[in-house]
Amino acid sequence: MDLMKGTIKVAALLVLLLPQWGQASGGAALPVQEWGFKGIFGKFDEAALKRGAKVAVGVCMNCHSLKYIKFDQMRAFGLPEAEIEAMAKDSGRSRKDRMLSVMDAVSAKETYGIEPPDLSLMTKARKGYEDYAYGILTGYLTDQESADIKKAMEDGKLSETERMEVAHVLHMDPRHEDKLKEAITKLEGGGNFNKYFPGHFLAMPQPMQDGAVEYGDGTKASLEQLSRDVVTFLAWAAEPTAEQRKGMGIGVMIYLLVFTAMLYAVKRRIWAKVH
Amino acid sequence: MAIEAEENRRDFLILATSVVGLGGVAGAAWPFIRSWSPSADVLAQATTEVDISALQEGQMITVPWQGKPVFVLKRTAEQIASAREGDKVKLPDPNPPSKDAERVKRPEYLVVLAVCSHLGCVPQPIGTGDFGGFLCPCHGSHYDTSGRIRQGPAPANLTVPDYDFKDDGNTLVIGKAVG
Amino acid sequence: MFKSIMEWVDARLPVSDLIKSQATEYPTPKNLNYWWNFGSLALFVLIVMLATGLFLAMHYKPDANLAFDSVEHIMRDVNFGWLLRYLHANGATFFFVCVYIHILRGMYYGSHRSPREILWWFGVIIFFALMGTAFMGYVLPWGQMSYWGAAVITNLVSAIPVVGEELVVWILGGFSVGDPTLNRFFVLHFLFPFVVFGLVILHMWALHAVHSNNPDGIDVHEGKDTLPFHPYYTIKDLYGVGVFLMVYLAFVFFAPNFFLEPDNYIPADPMKTPAHIVPEWYFLPFYAILRSIDFLGSFSKLAGVVAMGGAIAILFILPWLDRSPVRSFRYRPLSRQLFWVFVLDCFVLGWVGYNPADATLFDGALPLIVIGRTATAVYFSYFVGLWLVTVLKIEKPKPLPKSI
Repeated sequence: MDLMKGTIKVAALLVLLLPQWGQASGGAALPVQEWGFKGIFGKFDEAALKRGAKVAVGVCMNCHSLKYIKFDQMRAFGLPEAEIEAMAKDSGRSRKDRMLSVMDAVSAKETYGIEPPDLSLMTKARKGYEDYAYGILTGYLTDQESADIKKAMEDGKLSETERMEVAHVLHMDPRHEDKLKEAITKLEGGGNFNKYFPGHFLAMPQPMQDGAVEYGDGTKASLEQLSRDVVTFLAWAAEPTAEQRKGMGIGVMIYLLVFTAMLYAVKRRIWAKVH
Repeated sequence: MAIEAEENRRDFLILATSVVGLGGVAGAAWPFIRSWSPSADVLAQATTEVDISALQEGQMITVPWQGKPVFVLKRTAEQIASAREGDKVKLPDPNPPSKDAERVKRPEYLVVLAVCSHLGCVPQPIGTGDFGGFLCPCHGSHYDTSGRIRQGPAPANLTVPDYDFKDDGNTLVIGKAVG
Repeated sequence: MFKSIMEWVDARLPVSDLIKSQATEYPTPKNLNYWWNFGSLALFVLIVMLATGLFLAMHYKPDANLAFDSVEHIMRDVNFGWLLRYLHANGATFFFVCVYIHILRGMYYGSHRSPREILWWFGVIIFFALMGTAFMGYVLPWGQMSYWGAAVITNLVSAIPVVGEELVVWILGGFSVGDPTLNRFFVLHFLFPFVVFGLVILHMWALHAVHSNNPDGIDVHEGKDTLPFHPYYTIKDLYGVGVFLMVYLAFVFFAPNFFLEPDNYIPADPMKTPAHIVPEWYFLPFYAILRSIDFLGSFSKLAGVVAMGGAIAILFILPWLDRSPVRSFRYRPLSRQLFWVFVLDCFVLGWVGYNPADATLFDGALPLIVIGRTATAVYFSYFVGLWLVTVLKIEKPKPLPKSI
């Protein structure tokens, strides 16, 4: 068991020594959310998915597509056929069509400078996953924050306290005054500032605010709620088979636990003659 | 070998472990086998919707359904009469549905799978064969205006697929939704 | 009935003899510990990879315009397609886990020493082939990391003097990574595992010719020190498979994207490089060695490639670098310490390789490249050091047991 001892020592050392594996992004640390659908036993909240689908179709899909999802697939979380049909009609499509954006890619590129990325895999395709998507949606400056920054810059200079304040609001490093000022200049020039986007400026203007969508179920459509719901929907869209996978996994693990224990017992019995 | 097998059989633990293990192997094979079954996007093609509002009497269209051709014919009064006439004779394939009334949901529409029951060729359009129906060019099978075999080597009538009308008869839905 | 059929076959092809001598009654040292399980585990993963790969290939499309979509088609539409793909993607990770442990076990217990050099060589060749297979397989999903990983790695070839540039164009079938590259990588990725399988047979042939080493590293007396492979090691290997599956499948079912880079869920875009390209974890130490040679001006690129290749190729001569009369490090305290420094160093290299080339520690006081260079030096020093302590007889081995 000599090699085993060494291995344990090295493993312990690695756990102590290796700090967090480098975080290479220009954005601030993401606000980590609790997502009920994550984890081994996590399940999607159907009500949240239905609300999220409304947000996705009503807001996101004006510019973005979800090309790997068909409208009809939303029956999976209990959306009635008639509602799906109505959603599809609203974006000029039928129930069996893929969920493509209302605006075509060419005119979107003319308007925003880039082609809006497809959203079907968004929660899997960025570091931070669901938290990233939520961070972007909620990371635009509020009116109050914009006003505060404007006020701080009134005299064209940043005092020590103002600099700390502004850096705090923008989620930037207060030690780099030049970068702060550059960001403020861009911001005043109409740039789309986001606290959590790597590099902070992105092509997408703030897509929605409080009340952007009328929920039918009495839930208050605050920006946070809208974002949570649509991110939940996007997480479902990124891998509609996720629940099937986890459910099957639990069965398989129980089987393996029993089977491996049996194998161990057989191994013990056979080797008993040797030891 | 034989003695060893005897020993194993007596040892319940080894037997039980083997059974559980074989069950696991069989279970592991299932996803591989299932991966050959039609995928979700293929199943979504299980039904075909056809707009038949513009179809004229006597006109026939060929539509693809599940990768196979289907004849949709809007029959004239004459063709309907000829089909009913066929009910009275002795048919080569009397298995149901063989009466014209069993083969159509609405007398004016004939919907049949255009695959000859002989060797799988696609018969020619309406009016090409004797009995006013379809002629299969491969080996000369004649089908009547109800899609029944009347003459030639084909053993069976043309298959009538599952279908239904919706939107007040303006749309024909061929096939049954799966999954 | 069965007996008479077997007699008929054996008279023409001695199958029973082969099974008896090479499998069921094959004499195996009785003191092998669980580290010896990783050889059979690697074979098990190879079979899983062949099976899942075969079925994935029935749905995948090796076309630059269709590849990404076809992977999503597998994930979403094909029955259990997600399972096949996650088994395959995570299988690559666990293949390397098994292979690395298998190699390090050999290095620790002296399994590469005489008379097992050819056995060891086949192992190193298999390792090379696996790295090639894994690299080409990673290109197939045609995501951003696939594309840019392929671009970076194929560009290494351009370091070869005179013909390098033209060679890259030949390998890519174009002036950049594109449809021809994807198509040929797919074919080779399909072919290579069968080559690996053939190499594994040679590896096992070589093993059965000289028989297994053991933790004491001493020659064994057949009969007294050995056990028939069946049932002793068949059950022990099966038990190992059970434990292994619990870890492997836990990732497949509950954290299938843990080892995958998010960027690879973005379709390949030849016009835009991701901010930070990282290879798969199993290449990271070698990637760090490649990048750490940056101080030789215009020779840096070639030197980096040579160092990276040399880091693996040096394994070929390892059996001759170690001059100690004792095989197992169990009885060699100094070599044992060198070994653990080497293992730790591989992790440090991996960590350096994972971070951006211009990253620093302690607010810029310590550039990571300095750590990378040091770790690279340590990596090669292991081999030189092992040679020195044994050829100069600096190390005094502990007394060996007479038998296991």
